[in-house]
Amino acid sequence: MVSEKLKGVILKELELDDWDIQDETTAETVPGWDSLSHVRIVNAVEDAYRVRFRTSEIVRLRNVGQLQELLDKKLS
Amino acid sequence: MSAYGALAFTSPLFLLFLLGALGATAVFPLRHRWVPLLTASYLFYASWGVGYLLAVLGSLTVATWACGLTLERDERRQGVALAAGIAVALGALVGLRYVPFLADNTNRLLEVGGLRTRVPVPEALSSLGVSYYTLQAISYLVDVRYGVVGAERHLGRFALHLSFFPKLLQGPIERAPGLLPQLSGRVQVRGVDLRAGTQLILWGLFQKIVVADRLAPFVASVYGDLRGHSALSILLATYFFSAQLYFDFAGYTDMALGAARLFGIRLTQNFDSPYLARSVAEFWRRWHISLSTWLLDYVFRPLQLSLRDWRTWGTPAALVLTFLASGVWHGASWGFVAWGLLHGVYLGTSILYRRPQGKLHRLLGLKESLLLAPLQVAVTFHLVCFSWVFFRAPSLDGAVWAAGRLIRGLPDALVRLARGGDVDSVVYLGQGRGAFVGAVALVVVGALLRSYLRRAGVTQERRERTTQPPLASTWVRAAVYAWMVYLIAFAGTSAQGFIYQRF
Repeated sequence: MVSEKLKGVILKELELDDWDIQDETTAETVPGWDSLSHVRIVNAVEDAYRVRFRTSEIVRLRNVGQLQELLDKKLS
Repeated sequence: MSAYGALAFTSPLFLLFLLGALGATAVFPLRHRWVPLLTASYLFYASWGVGYLLAVLGSLTVATWACGLTLERDERRQGVALAAGIAVALGALVGLRYVPFLADNTNRLLEVGGLRTRVPVPEALSSLGVSYYTLQAISYLVDVRYGVVGAERHLGRFALHLSFFPKLLQGPIERAPGLLPQLSGRVQVRGVDLRAGTQLILWGLFQKIVVADRLAPFVASVYGDLRGHSALSILLATYFFSAQLYFDFAGYTDMALGAARLFGIRLTQNFDSPYLARSVAEFWRRWHISLSTWLLDYVFRPLQLSLRDWRTWGTPAALVLTFLASGVWHGASWGFVAWGLLHGVYLGTSILYRRPQGKLHRLLGLKESLLLAPLQVAVTFHLVCFSWVFFRAPSLDGAVWAAGRLIRGLPDALVRLARGGDVDSVVYLGQGRGAFVGAVALVVVGALLRSYLRRAGVTQERRERTTQPPLASTWVRAAVYAWMVYLIAFAGTSAQGFIYQRF
């Protein structure tokens, strides 16, 4: 499940007050989440959690749930 | 680049070949339809008379297919299989297209460095179609690696995926998830496919031999002797070239889409009214779409992520590098490199310009203005035209000279024209008033017909024609098609080779 913290980081980067972000949420369905903001979101998530993703790990992600899983794996 | 009997899309022989291939597929059961289609594709490629290209395509097919299977079956060897597969594809591309260019430039460097050693510069080889199917092979491998598509087990169908003749020589660059399932033998050919396919072929032929090839002499007369022409002539010739290139490539693409459609197979559309784009970024979403989306997914996105530590500068740098790669892909010459670099700089700058753009529009009172859209279309069109100078000029020196002349000499040329300068050679580009007016009229007719067919859904592959009523009565449509056939038969110039076939 997408944590409140991750949701907060994403919404802040997209300058959105609120948006329903679930495991199945994909970038195309969220306003402003294009290829430019995508990189900013990756940077913001890495900064917020003090983790480092490999490019191949990010390219593979299909939705927010998979980003959460990747984060959980990195943090465990 | 053509052998006797080469199956050029514009030759009557190609129409016979299409009929033969249609007949052959009709007698095969759906499940085995790949056999006549693959045979036809290799015969088509062989007709161009370059034996080693068949060997290159065949070896690349087997190597890519085998790497795809390894990628799926053996997790430990995924990295090796992906690297090996991409190396084979890039090796074919570089080996056939860039060796003379690399050797020549190495020698120049050696000369500058004061060394006497020289590397031999080999003869240029034919690379017909190679730039297109190698990109398709690379995207297939990456897609299998990242689970976007499963590896194709059937070698015959995979070979057809790479070699399918309508898109073999100059795209569209098809992706595995879109094309492979259509080759599995479950696609029935329906009446609507035959009708849409024929219309697309006819329409593509019209764009190519009636419109594009009629514009070619205007462009060639100026670009063949840039220094002998005024800034105004260069500007007009560049406008003509923008139309020539569009109708040449869009015409080819429509013929490719039409030929595939006759077999019930839908290829992706490459164009979406690109010259109506309001920004260069939008232009690239509408021009040669199959290449720009390929570059976006397999070059730009990974680069952009790799450079994300550069923060604000990462994305512009990734754009410049991606478009440099695009320039190099178009050809082994410094003109194409400069053309790619220019587009990279346009796009990189537009990223940095995003925030001040809103303020600037407000300041100029353009924010809500009806003028904004036409102004943006005009500016984008001229930025693109400026880049075409580098694309079309015979050398980088020539392009830089022409670009300088355009910038510095245009006001002066307009003043001279207003004083009654030589209209015939400056404005009509030495082709005479009648030919000039005729060419402009053809561009307008071409654009109108393209927009008509687009609205009618013929060139838009994803929309079913049957879901909406036709835009004109049967009689009007019959008259338009009869007129097109008449023009193709009697007003078409002797067809020249397609421009994008060289890339």
